[in-house]
Amino acid sequence: MPENTVVEHGLMGRVAYARIAPNEDLVKGVEKVCLAEGFRNAFVRGALGSLVDASLTFKSDGSKVLVKGPAVEVVSIAGEVRTDEDNTIAATLSGVVADTDGTVYGGSFVPGGNTICMTFEVTLEEWLPANPADQAREASKSEDTQ
Amino acid sequence: MVAGNFHSVERARTMIHPGRFHPVRIQSEHSDIARHFRIVLQPGKSLYDAIVQPLIQVGVTSASTTILGGLFASLEYCVAPPDPRNEAVIRYSAPIVAGESYLIFGNATLGRSSSDKPMVHCHAAVRREDGVVRGGHIIPGKTIVGDDPISVLVTSFDDFDLRQIYDPETNTPLFQPVASL
Repeated sequence: MPENTVVEHGLMGRVAYARIAPNEDLVKGVEKVCLAEGFRNAFVRGALGSLVDASLTFKSDGSKVLVKGPAVEVVSIAGEVRTDEDNTIAATLSGVVADTDGTVYGGSFVPGGNTICMTFEVTLEEWLPANPADQAREASKSEDTQ
Repeated sequence: MVAGNFHSVERARTMIHPGRFHPVRIQSEHSDIARHFRIVLQPGKSLYDAIVQPLIQVGVTSASTTILGGLFASLEYCVAPPDPRNEAVIRYSAPIVAGESYLIFGNATLGRSSSDKPMVHCHAAVRREDGVVRGGHIIPGKTIVGDDPISVLVTSFDDFDLRQIYDPETNTPLFQPVASL
């Protein structure tokens, strides 16, 4: 699916739950859950757990904030996993974390910067994009109704 | 510059747990179809009862849920600082009483405890009675739904179970997915 597609038609498929062990990276761990389950594309349905420290980014210059633990509790995550035509898989995760005082921070989790502390639970729902012919048919239907 | 300092800046910190490193780093299970439910947390019930009771009625024992936000008459939570006894790398703190609180957004997982009872593991961001916004591990039995019902989206796991199983590496019982019998 070209990344410049504005509307992508599809269906939800399987649902997976994974427990990721300590000292694994959060973003890479979620990508590997997809590899383990054979999901090319997925949405995060639920996630909670703890990190040693959290590394978050939220500015166009790529600057990061380090939230010191341990442990930093992950309070919520929204995100998706996409696999491109080269079979490169990439998770993009955005969320809210709380430090050891409960103070909250938010941003995009930096790949390689968020080591799991005790455990991380994630629920992923597989996203099955329609094939290109069906995408084109759905797009033309939308134009007809406008 | 000392090499150790360089690495401490550039590399994400790791931790040494009390137990032996387990070679399996990802435990995952899947269901072919995701079933969804919308449940409504009932006023006056604990968060635990308000999630567990309606799901038992529809036969759901393992699920991931999203709490869509709402007011709780009382709420308790804890945070996870380093374990003073060094039995694990962290331990939950004593409960923090937040009073009447608005739960902004949260996720809760339903599974079975080590003693084979329903167990709810919930993390959320909350606005406490004193106006401060905090996040952490919500204590479901001590958190009481306020006067208005609160919507929850449930994704049930039909082909596997979540069980709280002792994890030797972290020296802590943790939710793990296991294939249904």
